[in-house]
Amino acid sequence: MNAWQFSPRRVGLIARVTFLEARRQRLLPLLMLGAAGLELGAQMLEEFNFGLSELKFIADLGQGVAAFFGSILAIVASAQLFFREIDERSALTLLAKPVRRSEYLAGKFFGIMAVISLFCVLMTALIIVMLWSRETALMHGRPELWERGRHLNYAAILAVGFAHWLGLAVLVAFTLLIASFAQSSLFTVGVSLGVLVICQLQFLAQEAYAKAGTLGGRWVAGFIALLFPNFQVFNLGDVTGVEGEIGVMLLARVTGYALFYVGVAGMLAVFCFKRREI
Amino acid sequence: MLVGLGISGIPARWLEMPLWKELHIPQPQSRADSRPGGLVQGISLGLFGGLRALLADLLWLRVNLSWERRRVPDTLAYLHLVTAVDPRPLIFWLNGARMMAYDMPSWRIENLAGRDGPVTGLRERIEAEQTRLALAWLDEALKSHPASAAIFIERANLQLNCRRDPAAAAADYRRAAEQPDAPYYAARLHAELLRRVGRKAEALAWLVELHPRLPQGEEAAAAGLVLSRIRELEEELGVPSEQRYLPRI
Repeated sequence: MNAWQFSPRRVGLIARVTFLEARRQRLLPLLMLGAAGLELGAQMLEEFNFGLSELKFIADLGQGVAAFFGSILAIVASAQLFFREIDERSALTLLAKPVRRSEYLAGKFFGIMAVISLFCVLMTALIIVMLWSRETALMHGRPELWERGRHLNYAAILAVGFAHWLGLAVLVAFTLLIASFAQSSLFTVGVSLGVLVICQLQFLAQEAYAKAGTLGGRWVAGFIALLFPNFQVFNLGDVTGVEGEIGVMLLARVTGYALFYVGVAGMLAVFCFKRREI
Repeated sequence: MLVGLGISGIPARWLEMPLWKELHIPQPQSRADSRPGGLVQGISLGLFGGLRALLADLLWLRVNLSWERRRVPDTLAYLHLVTAVDPRPLIFWLNGARMMAYDMPSWRIENLAGRDGPVTGLRERIEAEQTRLALAWLDEALKSHPASAAIFIERANLQLNCRRDPAAAAADYRRAAEQPDAPYYAARLHAELLRRVGRKAEALAWLVELHPRLPQGEEAAAAGLVLSRIRELEEELGVPSEQRYLPRI
């Protein structure tokens, strides 16, 4: 009977295998290379020499590239790693053993999140190193602009990276939810991209309908808001810029919001996956 | 599944609403109104998410390219586009106003009359037009940044340097000084311009109200300078010695 209790050890093993599989697929290095290439390309901005706005550009480019490639990685890796085992029937062998479907999904989630975490850590480190080195160079070039010390708030840049990672965790959970009932990885990727756009846009629909919409429109917008998380909450870089500050309490609440949605999407994914014929 | 998401959405909204309110307020007021700029901003914000700032930066490079080529229509078009995509960075608004008020008049005059052609009358008309355009641009900026001292200061500079209107400049410096991020010099300039237009009693009252609020040890606050201006104004206005301002020590 013990074998059928939820086991973190089995979750850990599945997560490890998922992470190794992701490494084998070389998705991470490929996307990382593209993202890092773009970010390093920002070095050519030295030609422009436009001081503080150059640092803003480097930060915006880094965070934008991390968001874009991170979202692609989260959706594609989740769909591929989930369906690969189902298509190759190895999931059948695994689930025939005393492994709960919830453990299988949790293992997949944590394995994919390990890949996402690596991506976010590397990208954030790259952004910080680039900003630090460029700001140091600018400080030497025009010391009068940096009389009061460094302008950039590196703790806030770290916090922005963390919030971005939280957003990707929610995206992975929703992609796994879609995968739990979808029949192909292509369908999962397509629908997940749609969900991503809806999550980014849903607050706009609410604002627009709240201002001028009809009662029916407000109901529709409100219903969409109930179904999908607001991904703008995770774009803390939009709020702070490169010089602003992010409070610990704010970050804790964003974390709570992300954990809530990861939990909800995870439970629904388990519910759908349990009813699924493999 | 949809029912599950819908039910969980109720507590999620309870978590999200105060959070979103807090995150949304620091951003400039939404420009999602009936104008095309509002639409562009809304779409870019929604679709690009974290990439919006990057898109705006790239457009800003285009603004600078058009500026280097001294092309008025292109520069104006890109300025409107860049602030429609991302109205948050002040640098877009301030530099845009400077381009309109200080650079574009000379480009237009060159185009109309050639570098050495007769420009009497033409210069004044074009400069006045461009200043109006820049002031309207800054009014638009205030919709996104209603409490920005930098925008009021830029307005004041335009009133003073381009329109030669010290009274209007004084009013804008005062509004700048009333903002939370105002530099100390805005309040001093307000008083100085009041003095210049002959409203010395107003200038004195302003400085007397200002001086106790200035930190003594801070060089930029220039509390000593403000006190000396108070004394000068008291002299000029003939204020009796018993009614003169006494700084608290």
